[in-house]
Amino acid sequence: MQTRSNPSHRLLLRLLVAAQVLYVLGVAGAGYATTAYGQHITLATSPVDLHSLQYESFVRLHYTAAEVPLTAWRSPTPPRRRQAVYVLLATGPDSLATVAGVYEATPHPAAGQAVLRGWVTEVYARSLGLRYNLERYYVPGSSPLRLGKTSPPLRVQVSIAPWGQARIESVRLLKP
Amino acid sequence: MSRKFLETESPAWVTEGLITEAQRARLLARYPPEAVQAVGLLPLLGSILVGLSALSVVAANWQSLPTTMRLGLLLGSLLAAYTGGEYFLRRGNRRLGHGLLGLGLVAFGTSIILTSQLYQLVGYDVSGLLAWVVAGVLLSYLYDSQPLTLLPILIGAAVQTYCTQALGTFSYATMGLVALGSGYRWWRRPDTLVASLLAIGLLWQAALWVALSHAKITWFFIPAMLIYAAGDWHRDRPGARALQSPPLVAAYLFALGLALFGETDQYAGLLRPPVLAYLGALAAVLAISVGGKRMQGRLSSLPDWLLLLPGFYLPGGLPLAIATLVVLYAHAGSMLARAHRSGNAEQLTLGAVLFIVATMVAYFKLTWAFLDKSLFFLIGGVLLLSLSWYLRRRNAQRLAASVAAVAVAPLPTPENGLDN
Repeated sequence: MQTRSNPSHRLLLRLLVAAQVLYVLGVAGAGYATTAYGQHITLATSPVDLHSLQYESFVRLHYTAAEVPLTAWRSPTPPRRRQAVYVLLATGPDSLATVAGVYEATPHPAAGQAVLRGWVTEVYARSLGLRYNLERYYVPGSSPLRLGKTSPPLRVQVSIAPWGQARIESVRLLKP
Repeated sequence: MSRKFLETESPAWVTEGLITEAQRARLLARYPPEAVQAVGLLPLLGSILVGLSALSVVAANWQSLPTTMRLGLLLGSLLAAYTGGEYFLRRGNRRLGHGLLGLGLVAFGTSIILTSQLYQLVGYDVSGLLAWVVAGVLLSYLYDSQPLTLLPILIGAAVQTYCTQALGTFSYATMGLVALGSGYRWWRRPDTLVASLLAIGLLWQAALWVALSHAKITWFFIPAMLIYAAGDWHRDRPGARALQSPPLVAAYLFALGLALFGETDQYAGLLRPPVLAYLGALAAVLAISVGGKRMQGRLSSLPDWLLLLPGFYLPGGLPLAIATLVVLYAHAGSMLARAHRSGNAEQLTLGAVLFIVATMVAYFKLTWAFLDKSLFFLIGGVLLLSLSWYLRRRNAQRLAASVAAVAVAPLPTPENGLDN
């Protein structure tokens, strides 16, 4: 039975720990790279409840793109709850992205279009509820949202990396 | 054995001549009062409190700290925990060393999650957290430690839960890593606690798979019985039983549910997977299990498989309920017979309890409808009392016989005493 660590064990542990540190740095690097090399789109939200900031460090964003008509569904099989989907977004003249279609497999975006991945939360009679996993916004200490008292609608800038990861880049108030 | 037990019981041992007064004094000196140990816990408690205060300061100011500082804090605590663990291991303090290494592993998972959150980064598959499971499995191979072996099993279950609930996919890689990685780790160094937790963790993942894929819930028993069959191939008997218990409990509860609610065809309809595919898979697993049992000379435990008889293919209603009851009786009976043959008191009690449960289910099922209610409860009570009296008497006789056998036989050696 191994009671004390011997040098070869120590070396293996060090390698394992080094790999873990590199991995965490890699996650951080992916965050930077998503902004640097990603496609930038802007999503609109409905008014956000800021009261939750008193006891939580994040706010819940409700995107207008989170509910799409069932006519945007582009697949022969009907949508199911919790299904992973690809949302084709078209960027309008005001740089706001609108949903052009919801696909089961990766669509090929044309110029001025972007693909954001999401999940079906609910299937209604005429529409689909979607979730992008971008709903939680951890508000930095310096954000103007921390000073706000009312519930403003927001513009959320999202960058989508070529390999599919996405992150919230910045959030601004529609009317400061 | 606690000191209190020793203090209260040992005077009687002296009067009965089992030990002398001097031996009693030596025994008591061997186990010092526990107050001393409790005082030893105070520094640990103190350091936990100090650690918690540091944690709460960081947590309260987390969002206002600059990005690099947050990243530095995460990596710093990860490195500190691993370095501390290695330091204490070198000094020979195994428990603290392994504890700190485990803390380092937890810090790794926390760092992955908080770094993603730091950049508001969304991952669409489980690959980010899969690294956590990989690191946990690798770490469990590096050290001979029970907590470090349990940790990747728990992490695997947590990652799989997140993956199915938040991402809507099942991570076969996580399941495979836990089943093969932690499974092989257990196989080489069997341990009952690890075996139980491994089986429960894998059953949890299998249940998540069934829920996510909208499969008939009976498919759950294919992976569950695969775990059971793996136990059949293992040499270490207690470890194998610990691995097999969770799947057996699941199968028993399922059979019980079938006996209670199987009458409605609606419920039974939820259980019927395609006949050929399901029975083929089940037969394959049965073959693996029988092979292992024969190899290890444990064919006597084959009646465990009675619980897996696919009675739900019968038409719903009374035939199904009665068939399930017959199976429950056969299972309890086989267990009692086995326990009588081996003289295992624990198994005897378990068999008796299962027998009584089957009887009560049968009684409720078959007589509720047409018996007068007061008569129903009266007969039920009398049935239960007489059954328990009978089984207790049988147990007492059986145990008295085995005690007599021990008294006649020479004193058992320590190896014999530990072998069960």
